[in-house]
Amino acid sequence: MTHTTCSHSAADIAVSVRDLRVTLGGQAILRGVNLHLHRGQLVALIGPNGSGKTTLLRAIVGLQRPDSGDVRIFGESDLKKALPRVGYVPQRLALDRSFILSVREFLALRLRETQHWFWHRKRDTDDRIRAEMAELGAESLLDRPIAALSGGQLQRVLIVFALLKQPDLLLLDEPTAGVDSPGEESFYDLIGEVHRKHKLTVVLVSHDLSMVYRHASWVYALNGVVCCEGSPEHVMNADSLKEAYGLNVTPYHHHNHSHGPGGGTVQ
Amino acid sequence: MNIFSDIEPFMLRAFAVAVVMGPLCALLGVFVTARRMAFFSDTIAHGALAGIALGFLLGFEDPTWPMVLFSLLVAAAILWLKEHTDLLTDTIMALLLSGSVAFGIIVLSMLKNKRGELHRYLFGDILSVGPDDVWLAVLLCAAIGAWLFTKLSPLALLTASEDLAHVCGVRTRWLNYGFVLVLTVVVSLSIRLLGIILVTSLVVIPPAAARNLARNLRQQIILSLIIGLFGGAAGTVASYHWDIPCGPAIVMACIAVFIVSLVVSKLWLNKPAST
Repeated sequence: MTHTTCSHSAADIAVSVRDLRVTLGGQAILRGVNLHLHRGQLVALIGPNGSGKTTLLRAIVGLQRPDSGDVRIFGESDLKKALPRVGYVPQRLALDRSFILSVREFLALRLRETQHWFWHRKRDTDDRIRAEMAELGAESLLDRPIAALSGGQLQRVLIVFALLKQPDLLLLDEPTAGVDSPGEESFYDLIGEVHRKHKLTVVLVSHDLSMVYRHASWVYALNGVVCCEGSPEHVMNADSLKEAYGLNVTPYHHHNHSHGPGGGTVQ
Repeated sequence: MNIFSDIEPFMLRAFAVAVVMGPLCALLGVFVTARRMAFFSDTIAHGALAGIALGFLLGFEDPTWPMVLFSLLVAAAILWLKEHTDLLTDTIMALLLSGSVAFGIIVLSMLKNKRGELHRYLFGDILSVGPDDVWLAVLLCAAIGAWLFTKLSPLALLTASEDLAHVCGVRTRWLNYGFVLVLTVVVSLSIRLLGIILVTSLVVIPPAAARNLARNLRQQIILSLIIGLFGGAAGTVASYHWDIPCGPAIVMACIAVFIVSLVVSKLWLNKPAST
């Protein structure tokens, strides 16, 4: 493994993962992952398909039970205590079209949990939801059913959902998976803006190497284990990527939609 | 003079159970349809037949409890097989549904004095609702209705995304089990009125009709409750007046509302199919 150093104290660690191992369907997906994500960074997890990026993210928030290993979020190993500080954006929602939950109702579920959702529509809650949606330019979607949204619209709503409780850590699992190509770039700009404005730690699973180069402050290249980590400039050199992807990849720094494994070019 | 004095007591009992179970099934149905669990509901209803047959075989005069217990067993078997085998969920349910029905019919055919019970439980019987059934329905409705309303937000979130619900602190596994338990008990206890074959329609049709008219989940829930109440009441009254089977009468009342809702949504609300 190659890495560049980044000196921080333990209190600066947002997420620490030690020797994490996960087996799925008899196949070892994570084979002893170690990483320390620092507060305030925009961290990108890159790697080829099946390298365990999504599994790692799911294990961090307790959606995937590990075989062994230790995960701490802001030093806390008890997920119940840690999760209120976490916002999570899944790849997609498997919604049935018959489920007519509106965007406004969906967001209210995050703010009020079990109280008052059904009978009352509190003005302050409603104002808050409207303001957050307006900030992401999605106010017009408030009364649409979430099952009827396009990929890009849904991702914006999911980001608002994740931000409503003002988390300290935002985890995004391939957020542009359901977004058309023209929408991808503006979407990553939006993530960068959210990161700066809310001063969050952002962890992002991505296939798009050009996005990683432009926005990420730290990169982990994963392939069952952490192959390399460091600044985008360091990780995006061909040797590091070859180690992660297992083939020759030349990253480039302008957005291009004819992706190889994740936006670089494959030779 | 009491306006109910001319009405037969069995009719009043059936009416009371229908107006209690109708809205309850309809409320559950909003989540059953959105979570694609209609076939699940059908399977546990058919599983009840084996429970009824076993109840008679063991000497129960009233097989309500064996029926509920066996339906719960079928529900547990579906969940266990889903988690521990690679079988498709549809395959598991088809297996348990046909197995329960076959077992129930064989046992009932062996019990010579109970052969008439098969028809009664398959299609529902207004005469079979006893005073105890009314109290059971009312108490259940109060308890389950209260539970559902306290869990409405987590349930809506769980339906939208199990992963998001988990990250938001919902105990998803227990809520899933709770929902299955409640659905099983409500469906199996509605069998007396609607019959095994038709009971799922009371879970599916009111939310579907409400879906045609509603613009959000809150509206769908309210409309679904009203349609379930109307279907239960109108069906039992029609059954009494025209001497027709109760279950089919309730289902036809719900279908009539569905057709009206469809016409209204297409002609007046101008709702596109995607919303």
